[in-house]
Amino acid sequence: MPNPVELPSPMNAAGYATRRVTKPPNWHELVAFDMLFNNMTTGLFLVAAVGDLMSRPAFAPLTRLAYPMALLFLTIDLACLVLDLGHRFRFHHMLRVFKPGSPMSLGTWSLTAYSIPLGLLATIEILERVGIGGVPTWLRTVLIVSGIPFAMGSAMYKGVLFSTTSQPGWKDARWLGGYLTNSAIAIGCAELLAIADVDGQGPVLSIRTSLLALLAINLGFLVALRAELRPVFRTLKGGPRLDQMLILGAVVGVLVPAMLILVSETVPAIAVAILDGIAIALVLAGNFLVRRSIVMLPHHENDDGVVGRWDGGS
Amino acid sequence: MTTRELEVPATAPPSGPVATILGPFLPVDRPEPRTPTGFYTDTTICIGCKACEVACKQWNQLPSDGMHWSGDSYDNTESLSATSWRHVKFIEQFASAGTQGPSRWLMMSDVCKHCTAAPCQHACPTGAIIYNEFSNVYIQPDICNGCAYCIAACPFGVITRSNLDGHAHKCTLCYDRQRDGLVPACAKACPTASIQFGPIDELRDRARRRVEELKSRGTSSAYLYGDAPTENYSNLHSFYLLVDRPSTYGLPESPFNPWLRMRGDYLRSLFGGLAGIVVLLIVWTLRMP
Repeated sequence: MPNPVELPSPMNAAGYATRRVTKPPNWHELVAFDMLFNNMTTGLFLVAAVGDLMSRPAFAPLTRLAYPMALLFLTIDLACLVLDLGHRFRFHHMLRVFKPGSPMSLGTWSLTAYSIPLGLLATIEILERVGIGGVPTWLRTVLIVSGIPFAMGSAMYKGVLFSTTSQPGWKDARWLGGYLTNSAIAIGCAELLAIADVDGQGPVLSIRTSLLALLAINLGFLVALRAELRPVFRTLKGGPRLDQMLILGAVVGVLVPAMLILVSETVPAIAVAILDGIAIALVLAGNFLVRRSIVMLPHHENDDGVVGRWDGGS
Repeated sequence: MTTRELEVPATAPPSGPVATILGPFLPVDRPEPRTPTGFYTDTTICIGCKACEVACKQWNQLPSDGMHWSGDSYDNTESLSATSWRHVKFIEQFASAGTQGPSRWLMMSDVCKHCTAAPCQHACPTGAIIYNEFSNVYIQPDICNGCAYCIAACPFGVITRSNLDGHAHKCTLCYDRQRDGLVPACAKACPTASIQFGPIDELRDRARRRVEELKSRGTSSAYLYGDAPTENYSNLHSFYLLVDRPSTYGLPESPFNPWLRMRGDYLRSLFGGLAGIVVLLIVWTLRMP
């Protein structure tokens, strides 16, 4: 690279150097909700599927509600995806090509493929609930097993979609995908605990213990993610606020629920369900805060008053 | 011939809701590859006349951006957008009042870089962004659904989603004109030949000779930006001759292709998911009643 020409006291010699080169995409709160509902549906399905395959008798009362709920969350997630498009009636154009190199293409196909076994399982569960059963076990197992890789793919793509951009913060977030996929499992476990509490059946204690362990691991992923984002938070005008939002999300969505679950071991049975309910609500709220903090990163200006500065990657 | 006949050609494409839904899925013939073309912009002879901006708007029928005074030299366009596919940049490098010293204007007509390995094309989930037969990056407006992923991916901040139709837009390198054997409107209008159009290999040779010429005349800071690939980015089909740092012109110092990290990011995502499932398996195996 040649040396810049030496000029005395230039008026605007720096030219466009203080301006951010990249443009933020038109992604705001709706995308944060999309990220959350993506994790809510895939996480619930994966956790229910693992339980279903491990011990059908123990988890049967829970999956009866878990699969239909996962389908509901998937529908909300897809609605968010459609509403966020510039041309909403062209969502199906995503399915005219399959580009595994594009996380959004892979994600769309994963969600589509995931919706089929999930839809069938949800239908089977609803039919069984109203007394129309008779689906052979092997068919259920096939549907569950075939849904797992697509549910995993649907959970995995979102973080990679963000980290493979040129946007400040996102492009530095190497652990974003790891964090989101891991938190999907934690969220799914929290949802299954809610179903167990409401239904009054299932291995509630085991689910509660696993949620505690998952929250602890998820905190590790979140710490790694924050370490990557911290330099970007520092350079942005609204960065400290976003950083605070992320930390608040960690406290509200991980630490406080974990404490409540620990406390619930020592309280009377009637209070456990209440504490569980609060903990689950906080897990969802905290996870939304973290996602919102990440989604809004490129929309914040740099400290020098311009919308960011390209640092050329690394 | 009546006006109505002009408006409705005999081979009108099928219309109606079914055609609208299925049309993008129908196979089409891919044109035969042609000689790759591009732009070479010599900023040392740009005079900032904005004829390129005007020609681009006129040919491509792009609407006005409104009357806005930016206060930033003569640059009231401010950035490339869905309705401004050319943007002339002005950099005033003058000595302070009352002092003597070298002074100069730097001007540059910015445009889509038509990257050889374009992150926007890689990102596009609908296949709307393609390399056309001239190896230019082209957005098919009837396919784009405005997901904005290309905007997030572009390291040059070129693509913008229009508020008018909700689609992504950028320079087409006058694909329609090229197909008819014409020079893109901006290059045609440029009065100083700062914007040059042609086969990309010829342009690169021409640009390298120009750099040598400038250096022999004493402009030692002249260099080409984007004519050759770097470790982290492909070469550009719209490259520049510059005399100051790239960032001075609003270009990234060292552009990075975000896809280079995709594999590792997927592995970390998989690790995150598997870690969660392993926890479930361990806890439920140990604590299942």
